[in-house]
Amino acid sequence: MPPASSPNKANKKVANSLVALSSAAVLAVYSAGYVRTKAAAEKFVQQADDRRPRQAPPARPEIVEASLKTAPAPVPVEAKAEPKPEEAREKPKAVEKAPSADAAPAPAPAAAPVVAAAPAAAAAPMSPPPPWKDGIWKGWGTCRHGDIQAAVKIENGKITQAGVSDCETRYSCDIIDKLPPEVLQRQTADVDRVGGATQSSDAFYYAVYEALRQAAEAYKADAAGAPAAAPAAPPQAN
Amino acid sequence: MGTLVTIHVARPGLDEAVERAFQWFYDVERRCTRFDPKSELMRLSAQAGTAVKASDMLFETVRFALEVAKESGGAFDPTVGHRMEARGYNREHRTRETVHSGLEPEAQVSYRDVAIDVPEKTITLRRPLVIDLGGVAKGLAIDMAAQELKRVTGDFTIDAGGDLYLGGRNPKGEPWSVGIRHPRIDGQLIDRVYASDEAVCTSGDYERGQHVIDPRTGKPATAVASATVMAPSAMLADAAATAVFVLGPAEGIAFLRRLELKGIIYTPELERYET
Repeated sequence: MPPASSPNKANKKVANSLVALSSAAVLAVYSAGYVRTKAAAEKFVQQADDRRPRQAPPARPEIVEASLKTAPAPVPVEAKAEPKPEEAREKPKAVEKAPSADAAPAPAPAAAPVVAAAPAAAAAPMSPPPPWKDGIWKGWGTCRHGDIQAAVKIENGKITQAGVSDCETRYSCDIIDKLPPEVLQRQTADVDRVGGATQSSDAFYYAVYEALRQAAEAYKADAAGAPAAAPAAPPQAN
Repeated sequence: MGTLVTIHVARPGLDEAVERAFQWFYDVERRCTRFDPKSELMRLSAQAGTAVKASDMLFETVRFALEVAKESGGAFDPTVGHRMEARGYNREHRTRETVHSGLEPEAQVSYRDVAIDVPEKTITLRRPLVIDLGGVAKGLAIDMAAQELKRVTGDFTIDAGGDLYLGGRNPKGEPWSVGIRHPRIDGQLIDRVYASDEAVCTSGDYERGQHVIDPRTGKPATAVASATVMAPSAMLADAAATAVFVLGPAEGIAFLRRLELKGIIYTPELERYET
């Protein structure tokens, strides 16, 4: 390893050594083999699958938008959120949608940890009745710092409240207490990926998505005459 | 790692490789997490004063982290674990269990208190301390996953909580475009970079408040709002981004130039610095 005594002289070596060391480490660890017990690995996968999506739920931005406007169904609104078709992107196995940037609602009152749907309701377009069952639904979302549970209240088929019901992150949840409606609007512009840590607001999106998914499933079950899931069921239930 | 991992591959039929790539994240976390007392890392932390034989994975990760610590003059230091505990970063979010080493936050330890023996592959903690491999271990997992995918395809992306590895090119045949989050306006981008066969990692102050501690002072680092580094490996990009975040714009840029790495820094006032 380069001596630290003569910074200028050592700089070049330092650079090379760090880059080379990281490459060597990657190869060493990779080639050292990766002996894993299949059972243990599968258990991890199982646990993770129970709790978190492996990739962003594709309808997430739309859901969020839906929740703001209190009206549309979770799934069918994606067309309007797609600024333009991108034929070149048909190849990737998973394609991220670019949520619409122009649909941002007027800034709504912040401060409260509960995102009330009312301010944006007036702007809600005509739409079919939302397929959500009334009740309070909960879902978990994950970010790099832990998990967040969101609770969504559905009344008369509309979201009337959404907020954080359980914050299991390593840090205080103060940072998302201020989640105003505009936080729910996310735009990724026309880039392939976005760098920068997944934030707690993302976890909140996932959590709301999961809660609404349960509400929608319960609604469908009701419509089909099947025994319906109870609202606010354990969030892990799939 | 408490991280949402997304892998995109350019063509279908690679499920097995993608699955293997994902497995690395579990394997790396299992060995290198600070939040499980039974992890290899924490078992090491419990044996101060003894030369502990380490797995290749733990050894290489610690060795690399120590080297970055040395080269950054301690701006990056993997021995901040106990201080992070003291600041509340001590809960395993999956089991909801609080992990605590019992070390006082004032304990003056640094990377110099960790010794490694390369031929023997042993690690010795000269004093009781908690190693936090955070970003380095996640970077390693990304790099392992990239190795796995490179065996079957050149074009892919791995996104682990906003730390990225971009393999090959995007479906249009161009380098991948990567937006950098605006550190002050949620949902907006402040910059973009183009990457191919390299990692892009960002350390930002926006995600959980002032989460990066300057190991040299024990206080939060506040001179940078967002530091993005591009490097051949995610391990290096992640560690360098953390170091730059602590070093501040001027020293950070100098550090990156020494390493011949590309980087973009935004201060809290949104002044932009670039290598």
